[in-house]
Amino acid sequence: MTRTDVDNPLPVVRAVVGSRGRGNVWLLLLLAGGFVFAGMASITVTRASAGEPWAGFAVWILCTLGAASMLKWRLPNHDPLLLALSMFLSGWGLVAIERLAPAFASRQALWLMISVTAMLGIAAFPHVLRWLRGYRYSLLAAALLLLAATIVLGRNPSGLDFAPRLWLGLGAFYFQPSELMKVILVAYMASYLAEQNTALRARTGTSAGATGLSLRLVGPILLMWLLSMVILVWQRDLGTAMLFFIVFILLLYLSSGDLRLVLSGALLVLVAGIVAYQLFDVVQLRVDIWLDPWPEADGRAYQIVQSLMAFGAGGVAGAGVGLGSPGYIPVVHSDFIFAAIAEEWGLLGVVAILSSFGVLAWRDLAIALNHHGSAFHRLLAAGLTMTLLVQALMIMAGVLKLLPLTGVTLPFISYGGSSLFACHIMLGLLLRLSAGAR
Amino acid sequence: MNIEVTIFLLRLLGVLSLLGFLLALFVVIWRNAGAAVQPLAAAGAGPGYLVCEQPRLAGDALRCTLRPIVTLGRAAGNTVVVSDDFASANHARILLESGKWWLEDRQSRNGTLLNGETIIRRTILTDGDEIGIGRHRYRLHLNQENLAI
Repeated sequence: MTRTDVDNPLPVVRAVVGSRGRGNVWLLLLLAGGFVFAGMASITVTRASAGEPWAGFAVWILCTLGAASMLKWRLPNHDPLLLALSMFLSGWGLVAIERLAPAFASRQALWLMISVTAMLGIAAFPHVLRWLRGYRYSLLAAALLLLAATIVLGRNPSGLDFAPRLWLGLGAFYFQPSELMKVILVAYMASYLAEQNTALRARTGTSAGATGLSLRLVGPILLMWLLSMVILVWQRDLGTAMLFFIVFILLLYLSSGDLRLVLSGALLVLVAGIVAYQLFDVVQLRVDIWLDPWPEADGRAYQIVQSLMAFGAGGVAGAGVGLGSPGYIPVVHSDFIFAAIAEEWGLLGVVAILSSFGVLAWRDLAIALNHHGSAFHRLLAAGLTMTLLVQALMIMAGVLKLLPLTGVTLPFISYGGSSLFACHIMLGLLLRLSAGAR
Repeated sequence: MNIEVTIFLLRLLGVLSLLGFLLALFVVIWRNAGAAVQPLAAAGAGPGYLVCEQPRLAGDALRCTLRPIVTLGRAAGNTVVVSDDFASANHARILLESGKWWLEDRQSRNGTLLNGETIIRRTILTDGDEIGIGRHRYRLHLNQENLAI
């Protein structure tokens, strides 16, 4: 053996997630803090009715400082951009919810505190990746059971009869199991595919066409995934079902490198869409108003039309916090929060959110690319990234009427405790992976 | 203070901190990309290398730069000589074919492991793979930018 280059065995990894630019992170957090402060202050000035937004701001500062210093102490090699971006987006979410639905703001702040604590727990706890892999069937069974329980015990926090009952309630505390299912299903698929990695990559000779992808390899995944799909479709949680399907195809593609999978997956999405269009009134409605909302602008397409109006009203610089009228959009604080941001913060805000998600996805994929650990870690990082990114794209495109509307939340920003919690769990795992967990 | 002036100042603060955040984000990315280019250029000399991770050896025996065919085995003529009782004389080889790196077992007595699993036929290698021969473990580092030689 010959010794060839420098001593550093992983020069690229060191450079990408290395210590350079660490000082800038405090600057980023400071600027994010200034932005959240400006938003909260504007709300205080412009709001006619009394009400104090400052509790939310205090919670945000506490979470940011606590998380930043805790991560610096326990996980010194983590990628600091992830925290800066997630806290920026969560802070923006707090401001937007305080502005749009003040009644829900304190609940969201409480959930932020719980979520950040859970994220830190996951990021700092050394065995979490091994457990996620070792107890995957138990975790999956528990999650499926919770999901199935929503069929019988499901409730809707709004208490309305026709609303989908996707939540489990415990007193004043509601949780949506499908959000947790996202993390567990991605972890399960990543660990199973990582085990089959050698078989997936084995090819006879050099004939690149023959792939090792057989039912034996992907059978168990297909089964588990089908089970969760059935429950989701049963519960009419079609947006989440679509999200699962896309992430499933992308993970299979990542582990096998077979492009035909993506093509047939895209075809299947189309077929599923057509079938769902025939079967479900909801889908029919969503597709109809996507194709042409204007004849029914006052009726069934009211929400999407108002959303488009909000984008138009925002212009480049936005109407200003508390000065627009995003209240015309029904339930704006949840699925349509992106439209409200477009109205009050304008094109600038939309670009900022898009670039934040873009940078977040890029950094997360860099973790998957540069991780010199097991295939499980790489696939997990890639799968979690895909989940966050696809979800963000689905709802942003839906609100802009680029795609039919799918009822998923905008990660980190939308109102919703379970969604915020699941996003932070995913972020905690990504932080752990970015520190080079073994 | 006049309420309209206050609102204006707050909007200014919001816009400036938003732009500042985006600018700082850009600077961090820019610096990281710059820092990533230099080691890449330095490592660009070869397509990748193999490191013996177990047992840990000192000095020159640590790593082997990849060339189109790397043979592994106990016999002295191999590119990588594996001094292991469980290694065959001509145990396995790594070869470059149609732009990809492959691991191939050469009918060794105890088999060749890829990430802990015995390979049955020729298998594509990717960056970070672990190759096991007897008790020895080798880690493969591929230079993604420079797959072909």
